[in-house]
Amino acid sequence: MTYRTASIIAYIVFFAVVLALPLVLNSFWTNRVAIYLVYSICAIGISMSWGYAGILSLGQGLFFGMGAYMLAMSLTLAVPDNNPVPQLMLLNMEPDAVRDLCCVTTGSFLWIPFRSVAVGMIAGIVVPCILAAGIGYVMFKRRTTGVYVSIITLAFALIGQLLIINNQPLTGGFNGLADLALLEIGGFEFDPYGPSAYYAVAFTLIVVILLARYMLAGRIGQVLKAIREDEARARYLGYDVENYKLFIFCVSAGVAGLAGMLFTLTSEFATPSLMATSLSISMVIWAATGGRASLLGACIGALIVNFVGSLASESATFQPVWPIILGLLFVVVVLFMPNGIAGIFKAFIERSGKAERFAKAELSAREA
Amino acid sequence: MNAVHKTSHVAAASAAPILRTRNLTVRFDEFPAVRDVDLSIADGELRVIIGANGAGKSTLLDLLCGKTLPSEGEIWLHDRNITGIGEAAIARSGVGRKFQTPTVFKDMTVLENLQVASSRRVRVFQNLFERVKSGPSDKEIAVAERTGLLGSMKRKASELSHGQLQWLELAMVLSQDPKIILLDEPAAGMTAAETDKTAELLLDLAGGHTVLVIEHDMAFVRRICRTITVMHQGAVLAEGTAEEIECNPAVIEAYLGSATLSHA
Ligand SMILES: Nc1ncnc2c1ncn2[C@@H]1O[C@H](COP(=O)(O)OP(=O)(O)O)[C@@H](O)[C@H]1O
Ligand SMILES: [Mg+2]
Repeated sequence: MTYRTASIIAYIVFFAVVLALPLVLNSFWTNRVAIYLVYSICAIGISMSWGYAGILSLGQGLFFGMGAYMLAMSLTLAVPDNNPVPQLMLLNMEPDAVRDLCCVTTGSFLWIPFRSVAVGMIAGIVVPCILAAGIGYVMFKRRTTGVYVSIITLAFALIGQLLIINNQPLTGGFNGLADLALLEIGGFEFDPYGPSAYYAVAFTLIVVILLARYMLAGRIGQVLKAIREDEARARYLGYDVENYKLFIFCVSAGVAGLAGMLFTLTSEFATPSLMATSLSISMVIWAATGGRASLLGACIGALIVNFVGSLASESATFQPVWPIILGLLFVVVVLFMPNGIAGIFKAFIERSGKAERFAKAELSAREA
Repeated sequence: MNAVHKTSHVAAASAAPILRTRNLTVRFDEFPAVRDVDLSIADGELRVIIGANGAGKSTLLDLLCGKTLPSEGEIWLHDRNITGIGEAAIARSGVGRKFQTPTVFKDMTVLENLQVASSRRVRVFQNLFERVKSGPSDKEIAVAERTGLLGSMKRKASELSHGQLQWLELAMVLSQDPKIILLDEPAAGMTAAETDKTAELLLDLAGGHTVLVIEHDMAFVRRICRTITVMHQGAVLAEGTAEEIECNPAVIEAYLGSATLSHA
C-alpha cells in the first residue's frame, strides 16, 4: 500500500468515526467531543501556518478568542433580556447614560452591527483575518522570522486579552460573555448538548480540512514549502515571500476564528481566558503531537491530547500535574518525533510497503 | 537628484546594453566593499569577473540581484532603474542569481525545485487553486537535460552530490528565463570532470543568454572568456580580453602574479 492510499483511507476512517460518534455518545460526551473537534480545527490552522510555512504563531488564541467573542456578542443581544442593551452594560454604565447601544457605555456602539447574528458570524472570521493581516503585515514586511514571530504573536495575544479584561463596560471584562441565546439559523436551533451543534462542528471540520488539503496540495503549498526551506532562494526566483506568508497567516487566523465561533456555539461562553498564552501554546502542542505537517495528524493530535487531558482532570492524582505532563509531552515530541503521530504512521506505512515489495520480489525470484 | 538625472540621460543615449551600473558603491561600516563600479554588459555577452579573494566580486553580484542595497549608485536593466526595488521584483524583471554555495530547496525533489523555479505565475492569488503537475513539462525536461539532471528528477535535492547541486541551482536560474544570469564561481568545489562539463555548459549558454560569471581559476577563464573585468579592492582595475589582461602590468601586480602562484 502506498502512503497516498493509506492517507486517503485514514481520512475516510476519521470522517466516518467523527460522523458516527453521536450515535454512541450520551449528551455530555457529545458536547465534550464537539469541543475537542473545535480544538482540532484550531490545530488545522496551526498546521497550515507552522507545518506548511514554518510560521510558528503563539498568538493563535487571539484569533480564536476574537472569533468566539464575535458570535458571543450576537448571541448576547439575541437574549430577549439583553435587548436593546446587554445586562453587562447596564451594570457598568454611568447612572445618567442613555439606555441605548449607541451610547450606554463608551464604545458600546461597536455592538450595534451585532444585532444581526449573520454579522456576528461573518465578523467571527473576518475580524481575526483583519487582525492577522495587520500583525502579519508589520512582521513580514520587516522580514521578521523564526522565534521573533512567535514572540510578537504571543505579545499581541496578551495585549488582546488585557484590552478585553480592562474594558469591562464594553466586553464584560474578566467574566466574559456567558449569558447567551442558542444559535438559531432559519428557525433551526443548535443545541450544544445535542447532535445539531456536534454536526455543525463536524461538518465544518470536514469542509475545512478538505479545502485546506486541496489548496495546500496545489501550487501554493509547493511555494510555501519552498519558502519554508529557503526563503531567500524563493525571493531570487521572483516570489514575494511576504505576501505568501501574510496569506497563509491570515487563512490560519480565519480558521482559528471559525473555530472560536464554534467554541461559543458548543460551550455557550466566551471569556478572555481563550486568549491566554496557555491555550495558544496548547494548540501548538496538539499540532506538534499529531504532526504539524499533516492536517489530519494535527487534528487527531488535538483529539487525543484533549481526551487524555480530560481523563486526567477527573483523576485526583493526575489533575494537578497535567500541565507538567503536557509540557513534557511537547519536549518529547519535539526531540524524538518531530513529525508527530502522522510521522510515525508514515514511517510505518513506508516500512510495510518496503517489506511487501521485498516479499513479492522474493516470491517471484523463487518462482523463476 | 542630480545623479538620477545624469544616469537616465546616459542610459537613453547609449547603445542599449542589457545591464549597466553607475557609480555603484556599497560600504559596510565605512569599509567600501564595492567602489564606483560602472559596468556595462551587452546583450548576449559572456562576461567574466576576476579578482583576488575579498575584491568585492560576490558583493557586486549581491548588489545586482538586490541582496544588498547600494550605498550609492544605480543599476539599470535595459531602460529600467532596478535599484532598490526588492529581490523578488528584480528577479521578475529578469535577473537570475546563482550563489557560490548552492541554494536549493533541499527537502524537495529536483522536479519540484524546477517547478517552483520555472513557474512564472508568482503571485499568491494566481496560485490559489493552481494544481501541480505530477510530471515534468517540456521546458523542465529540456533544462534538466541541459544540466544533466534528467535522470535525477525524482530524487530529493538533499541526495545530490555537490556538483549536481551546483547544476540544479543553475537549472533553476535557467528555468526563470532571465535576461541576465549572474553566476558566482559555478565551478567551485567541483571535480575536474565536473568543471569541464560546467565550462561546456557556460559556452553553450553564451549563445542565447547574457551571462555574468565570477571565476577564480584562470585556466577556466581562458576557456570560456571573451571579455574580462578585473576587480581589485572593490573597484574595477581593468577590462579587456584575456591576452590584454594577462599583459596588463597593474593587473599582474595586483592580482595575477599572486594568483598564478596560488593556482599553479
Ligand atoms: N555583509 C557584509 N558585511 C561586512 N563586510 C562584508 C559583507 N559582505 C562582504 N564583506 C566584505 O567585503 C569584501 C568583499 O567581499 P566579497 O564580495 O565576498 O569578495 P570576493 O567575492 O571578491 O572574494 C570582503 O572584505 C568582505 O569581508
Ligand atoms: Mg566571492
